[in-house]
Amino acid sequence: MTTTIDGTTARDWINEFTRIFANAQQRLTELDRLAGDGDFGTNIASALRRVSDVLPSTADATYRTVFSAASEGFLRTGGTSGPLFGMWFRSIARAGHNSAVLPELAGGVAGGLGAIQSLGGAKVGDNTMIDALAPASEALSEAAALNLSVPAALENAARASRTGALSTGDLIARRGRASYVGELARGVLDPGAVTIALFFEAGATAAGSPQQWQDLGVNTVKR
Amino acid sequence: MPTNRQFINQRDNVISEALEGLAATYPDLITHDAATSLISRAQPTFGKVGLVSGGGSGHEPLHAGFVGKGMLDVAVAGAVFASPTALQVQAGTTLADKGVGVLQIVKNYTGDVLNFQIAAELASDNGTVVESVIVDDDLASDSDNGGPGRRGTAAVITVEKICGALAEQGADLSTVTAAGRDIVTRSRTLALTLDGCTHPGNTSPAFTLNAHEVEFGVGIHGERGTGRVPFAAADELTEQLIIPLVDSLGLKSGQPVIAIVNGLGGTYPLELSIIARHMHEVLRGRGITVARSLVGSYVTSLDMHGVSITLTAVDDNIIAGWDAPVRTPTLTW
Repeated sequence: MTTTIDGTTARDWINEFTRIFANAQQRLTELDRLAGDGDFGTNIASALRRVSDVLPSTADATYRTVFSAASEGFLRTGGTSGPLFGMWFRSIARAGHNSAVLPELAGGVAGGLGAIQSLGGAKVGDNTMIDALAPASEALSEAAALNLSVPAALENAARASRTGALSTGDLIARRGRASYVGELARGVLDPGAVTIALFFEAGATAAGSPQQWQDLGVNTVKR
Repeated sequence: MPTNRQFINQRDNVISEALEGLAATYPDLITHDAATSLISRAQPTFGKVGLVSGGGSGHEPLHAGFVGKGMLDVAVAGAVFASPTALQVQAGTTLADKGVGVLQIVKNYTGDVLNFQIAAELASDNGTVVESVIVDDDLASDSDNGGPGRRGTAAVITVEKICGALAEQGADLSTVTAAGRDIVTRSRTLALTLDGCTHPGNTSPAFTLNAHEVEFGVGIHGERGTGRVPFAAADELTEQLIIPLVDSLGLKSGQPVIAIVNGLGGTYPLELSIIARHMHEVLRGRGITVARSLVGSYVTSLDMHGVSITLTAVDDNIIAGWDAPVRTPTLTW
């Protein structure tokens, strides 16, 4: 079983994330239209275009160069979600070199979670990307402690972040754009949290644990 | 037939063409870097604390108009009403570093604060020492609901002027930072408008008002205010801005202030002077000394037909900093 993430796996991960995000973009924009200002899908899509512009070639791809490229692409994107994702990817990138073992990845994800929380001030339950990211980070750390393989660990992280993303449907936003509309956003999944879940699902697929992940999104809007 | 015609070419080129035009007008003062949307001093001063500010465009002459001797070293321009990216701000912060640290002057908006903070962290990794002053002077957005807090508006001029004077005189980073934070605590702003603003390339304003309405407590991003008040004569509307500022700052008779009457982009200079006239009358009536004042459109919201008033409670040191020489496209004395 795979115990490291090398440059090729990292590239596959980013490419798979880009692919499934493109499929989900429309319904994420719809979620943001219900609870924010409707530009989330376009912003992340343009960040991912910038990522693919700077993504290293297969020959140059290492764990670090791939996630650094992801960080740069997002940091070049305005708004608030873009730079938060950018700092998160930066922490992931700095956790490894040519490749990363699971404890390194888990450390990078946890560090990035801390960076986002100190920048944005959101906690679990505030109806933001943190609601998907915190459980994913916890799942990765547990998997690392149990010496699980990378594909199994990412599958656990994907499940945990999906559950976290679904929980945002019941929450009222206290941070981010949706915090301005209060009750109106009840029943609407947070698009940032859904995106985090998609990212870990892409990771599980890229690492060799393909699953048929059911679409997250509009079906779960309650109203 | 569009009602709001504008002097623009392509919508996407509005910011870069405007910055290019400004730099071409003041080649002895400022330089434009098109790749990063930065305006910096034509002749950088080494060994002095660097001052960098910036934010969304649409507030001209803020910020680029305040780059020069005695004020900013670098201004970073985002798209209209949108924060510049963290990497743009990082480039600006690094460019402003002349060896003894950089002060970022940031208006309190979520995106600006976030991207400047990230930029500070990135620039720190490369050895630049960075401090920041968050300007949050807008009284209309004052609330204790744990939200983003008061917005940053025209007090940014006073902060940049005073910090600029200290930096020019060779003060160290902590002194310049402390002075900036002190000005913020001493400053409040309130604004109202007779009409919404229109984005470049749009044909209708962000919001419209009836003839008998005034939007009270507006910010500088074309957003709605905190409420509507009846349209009235200039003196009456001026009073509605000043009295809450005086109360909020607890200004007593004998207290000197720096006062800024600021047009939001579509207000005639004639109107601003009429507002300034009554502002002086009201403050004089309360025994408050207007030590220095400024009237003009400095922190705008595109073509908004509105006005803001900023009061800063000052002392002799602050007045000396205000009086110190400045040479920028917008302020020169």
